[in-house]
Amino acid sequence: MIRFNNVSKVYPNGTRALNKVNIDIQKGEFVFIVGASGAGKSTFLKLIMKEEEPTSGSIIVNDTNITEMKRRKVPYLRRTMGIVFQDFRLIDKMTVFDNVAFAMRVIGARPKAVKKRVHYILGLVGLKDKAQSRPAELSGGEQQRVSLARALVNNPSLIIADEPTGNIDPEMSFEIIELLNEINKQGTTIIVVTHEHELVHKFKNRVIEIQGGEIMSDTGAPTEKADVKIEIAEEELAEIPEEIAEEIPDVSSEELNREALAAIEDEEAAEE
Amino acid sequence: MRGLGYLIKEGVRSVWNNRMMSAASIGVLVSCLLITGAAMLLSMNVTSVVEEIGKDNQITVFLKEDIDDLEAIQKIGPELRKVDNVAEVEFYSKEQAINEYRSELGTLFSELQGVENPLPNAFHLTMVDLSQYETTVKDIRAVEGVDIISDRSDVAKRLTDLNRLVTQVGLWLVAALGIISLFIISNSVRMTMYSRRFEISIMKSVGATNHFVRIPFVIEGVVLGLISGIISSIVIAFLYEAMVSAVKYIVPVTEIPYSELAPRMTVGFIGFGMIIGAIGALISIGRYLNMEGGEILGW
Repeated sequence: MIRFNNVSKVYPNGTRALNKVNIDIQKGEFVFIVGASGAGKSTFLKLIMKEEEPTSGSIIVNDTNITEMKRRKVPYLRRTMGIVFQDFRLIDKMTVFDNVAFAMRVIGARPKAVKKRVHYILGLVGLKDKAQSRPAELSGGEQQRVSLARALVNNPSLIIADEPTGNIDPEMSFEIIELLNEINKQGTTIIVVTHEHELVHKFKNRVIEIQGGEIMSDTGAPTEKADVKIEIAEEELAEIPEEIAEEIPDVSSEELNREALAAIEDEEAAEE
Repeated sequence: MRGLGYLIKEGVRSVWNNRMMSAASIGVLVSCLLITGAAMLLSMNVTSVVEEIGKDNQITVFLKEDIDDLEAIQKIGPELRKVDNVAEVEFYSKEQAINEYRSELGTLFSELQGVENPLPNAFHLTMVDLSQYETTVKDIRAVEGVDIISDRSDVAKRLTDLNRLVTQVGLWLVAALGIISLFIISNSVRMTMYSRRFEISIMKSVGATNHFVRIPFVIEGVVLGLISGIISSIVIAFLYEAMVSAVKYIVPVTEIPYSELAPRMTVGFIGFGMIIGAIGALISIGRYLNMEGGEILGW
C-alpha cells in the first residue's frame, strides 16, 4: 500500500525532517505514528499526500511511484485517500450534510449519488440526526466525526488522520479511534498520527515511533489482531439480514471509481 | 464537464456572499467602462464628422489655358479617374464658372463685361482618403494638361491629425482603464479567495482538480464583468444624450444617433467586462493553485 524507500526530506531552511526512512505499510493495516512535536510525523503525512516532495528516496502509494507522478495526476491520487485534521477544518457556514457532500461535489459526483452516500456515511458515524446542524452547534467529538465522515465519503482505500484527537476530550478521543478501528475492519488502511501514547496503548495496533526524522521503533502488524479482524468481518457479513443489506446505498467504490475515471477522461479531453 | 452546474452556482453565490466587495468592484468597473465608452463615442463621432467633411472636401483641378476643345478635355477626365484615391471626377467648364461669378458678383460683374472669359476649364475631384492628400495631389499634377490645383492641404491635415489624436488618446485610455479594471477585479476575486481559502485547502485535499478549484472564481469574475457591462450599457445611453445636448449647445454638430451605436456599445461593454473579469480572476487564482495544504491557510 505505502512504501518509503530511503526517504529524506530537508526543507529549504535546512531543517532535516526525515532521514533515510524506510517504511512498509500493507493494505488493510491500522498504524499509529507517534513522536514528539517536530519529530517528522507531519512531513511523513505530507509526503504521502504529495503536498511535499522528498529530497531523496522514493515513495510508492498503491503500486505507483508518486515521486515521479505528474502534478496534474495528484488530485486523482488524493481521491484514494481521506484526510482527517486535528482542527476538523469544517466550513462554518455549511451544514453538516453540506460539509460532507462538499468532498463529493468538488470531484464532480452526481447530486443523486451525493444525497444517498452522505446520508449513509452520516449514519455510519452516528450523526444522521445532525445533518442540518452547523459545525458550531456540535461538540468537539461530533465535529471530528463530521470530519471523519467527509474523509470517508469518497470511499478511500486509505484514511490519514493527523492528530485527530488533539482538540477533543479523552473520552471522545477513545470513541474516534474506536470508529477508525471499525472502518479499518472493512478493509480501509488507517494511518493515525498522534503524540498521545496513552491512547495508543489502549489499542493493539502497529505503532511506528519517529524521532528526529528517523524511525526509532516499529512494533510491526499484530498478527493475532489480523485474525480477529477477519473473523469479525465474516461474522458481521453473516449477521446482516438481506432486507437491511438491500437498504445500504448502492454507491459502491466501483461506482465512485468509475465516476473518478470518467472525470479523468473529461479532464484529459479538456486538456487536449 | 461533470458538476459544471454546481460550479456556476458557487461562482454566482460568491458574488452575493461578498456583496459589499462585489458592489465596490462593480462601481469601479462601471466607472472605467463609462470613461472608456465615452472616449470611444467621442472618437467615433469625430471620425464621422471628419468623414463627412472629407466627403464634401472637393478639390478643384484647373486645366491649362490652351486646353479649350472638348476632345482634349474628354481625354483628361478618364486620366484623372485613373489616379489612386480619386473617388469622383466632375467636369466644371469655364462657362459654368463665369456664370457662377456672375450670379455672385451681380452689378460688379457687369462692369467687367466685355472682357473675355479669363477662367480656365476645371474638374471637381473627391478623394477617398483625405490623409493621402499630398500623394494624390502629386499624382494629379503628373496628368497632362493639369495646370494648378486648389490647395486645401491645411484643412485635410488638421482633420486627419485630429482624428488620429482622438483615436490614439482613446486607445491609451482603453489600455489604461483596462489595466485598472483588471486590478480591481483581480483584487475582488483575491478577497473572495482569501475568505474561502479554507474551502480551497479542503478541495485540494479531497482531490479536486485545478479546473474545479478555478472555475467558481472565474465565474465570479465573469459575473462581476457581466453586471458591470449591463449597468454601463444603460448608463451610457443617458450620458450620451446629455453629452450631445451639452456639445450642441456650444457647437452645432450632427451626432451619430445612439440607436445606431447601441448594439456595438452593449456588446463591447459586456464582452470587455466579462473578458476583464475572467482574466482578473485567473491572475489571482494562479498563486493559490500552486500552494498546498497549510500554505493556503497561511500556516
